[in-house]
Amino acid sequence: MYRGKNITELRDLIDNQGVSPEEIFKSVVEDCNKYQDEYNSFVTIIDKFKMKARKDTLITGIPYALKDNFSTANILTTSSSNILKDYIPVYDATVYKKLKNAGGVLVGKTVLDELAMGGTGTTGHTGVVKNPWDKTRMIGGSSAGSASSVALGLVPFAIGSDTGDSIRKPASLGGVVGFKPTYGRISRYGLFAFASSLDHVGCLTRNVKDAAIVTDIIKGQDEADMTSLKDDLKNYVDTLENDIKGRKLFYIKEVCDKELYKDSNDEVLMKVLDDFYKTLDKLREEGFIIEEVSIDKNLLEAIYPSYMSISCAEATSNNANLTGIQFGPRPEGVDSYQELMMKARTEGFSELIKRRFILGSFILQKENQEKLFLNACRVRRLIVDKINDLFKTYDGMILPASGGIAPKFSDDSEKLSDRYLILENHLAIGNFGGFPSITLPFTMVNDMPVGINLTGRVCEDDVVLNMANYIEKVTGLKDIYSKVGEE
Amino acid sequence: MIEKEKLKKYAKLLMFDMDEEEYSTLQEEFDIILKQMDLIANIPDIENVKPMTFPFINKDAKLREDVVKDYLTTGEVLANTKHQVDDQVKIPKVVE
Repeated sequence: MYRGKNITELRDLIDNQGVSPEEIFKSVVEDCNKYQDEYNSFVTIIDKFKMKARKDTLITGIPYALKDNFSTANILTTSSSNILKDYIPVYDATVYKKLKNAGGVLVGKTVLDELAMGGTGTTGHTGVVKNPWDKTRMIGGSSAGSASSVALGLVPFAIGSDTGDSIRKPASLGGVVGFKPTYGRISRYGLFAFASSLDHVGCLTRNVKDAAIVTDIIKGQDEADMTSLKDDLKNYVDTLENDIKGRKLFYIKEVCDKELYKDSNDEVLMKVLDDFYKTLDKLREEGFIIEEVSIDKNLLEAIYPSYMSISCAEATSNNANLTGIQFGPRPEGVDSYQELMMKARTEGFSELIKRRFILGSFILQKENQEKLFLNACRVRRLIVDKINDLFKTYDGMILPASGGIAPKFSDDSEKLSDRYLILENHLAIGNFGGFPSITLPFTMVNDMPVGINLTGRVCEDDVVLNMANYIEKVTGLKDIYSKVGEE
Repeated sequence: MIEKEKLKKYAKLLMFDMDEEEYSTLQEEFDIILKQMDLIANIPDIENVKPMTFPFINKDAKLREDVVKDYLTTGEVLANTKHQVDDQVKIPKVVE
């Protein structure tokens, strides 16, 4: 009954039309259960209505979903891994606490790629997440369930985390808005760390205004996270309609020049790029100044391997606490704590996670550190310096978030091609530099959505949301969701 | 191609194991990843760049005062382990 409604619409129902938050909660939970078997958005669907009574925030009484790598006291939190399949935290993540204090109503904890280390939505311990626009396709990850719950219209917003593109890629493939603000704008306390220097908290919504509403609630400095930024004391919703005339954007030729792919015989890719350039023309008509820039291809090709190197190395040490001793399933019949850990970790981690950890360990070996880890950190500096240099002239970088529609589960990509290394993986730039970055739907190809990405200067979260709001007006793809199953 | 034995050594250091087939998949994956990593070496003068380990300098970052504030009770700490004795987590004997 409330499927597809955004925050403002639900707010109106509660404030002016006598609909109670509990009534909405019950209906939403019913819908969540209805689509669970088919799409697998959730690890846990909450069965009891709980809301802190207050009336002064825009999300009071509004249902939402939270990725299952955020700590929630007394609510199962698995990070979609067998090693945490029974883990019930004893404390709340700051983000969850803020949403609770603002009167938000949690309806479910969403499926992710195990420990947030993956981009397909296929590696969670409770199974594969399917794309609501076509269930033979993946929605991407790692915030797969958060994206699918919003794309199905079940909840108006969901919280995710983004280490390389984990909010913004599934947003693109699922036809929703995915926003990660500046690094440190939102506290990471209570988020299970993947790669601490790249991890961001953010949200998935169906329009830019809702992303601003949610970010206004969850941002702010936190004593429990020393990397959190001093609050900018801005209200992002208030500046969404600011004039954008004269705002300057750039796109990178080596990422999206049609000439690069003319021999690919990939009609979908060419249509995505055609529509991208058409969108840029429309944005120019609205007053944006958009120019092409060139960046050394070697540097762009090095982004993905550098991301893998840094993230796997950090993840290997961050997850060393998963021993099976203090929490997690404890194997029986072992004689030593070493054997206990060995068995718990062998049984608790899936193959993909083990492979990532081994890569991380390999990178951190003394003999490999210089070539693999430190060189990756050097690439990180080069690319961030380059983008910051461009940001002296431009207010933002605009690019297609992906070169195609959501892949089929059976698809395989050529992992050494420029398309894979550059076009499909450039979003990690936003994590390298901590830049605010948003993806929103800009076209439909073969009835599947594709996202456009806008990245801005550090601490200019308000400007990014303001510009994105205008892009949304131009694309006309506001509040879209998959209406599958609706009568 | 990286030797399987090396991969097994790293797995052991990380305190887990995989089966033979999984090691073979990893071996193939390493082949691709190391080729991708070689792309980094193509960047001229890379060795003269200062490594970046953090997105930007946060001038507001500071260590908080070391005062006891919120803390977990013994019951909370033990809540997720079934194996406990005398308010402590029980593990197999460490000293032979």
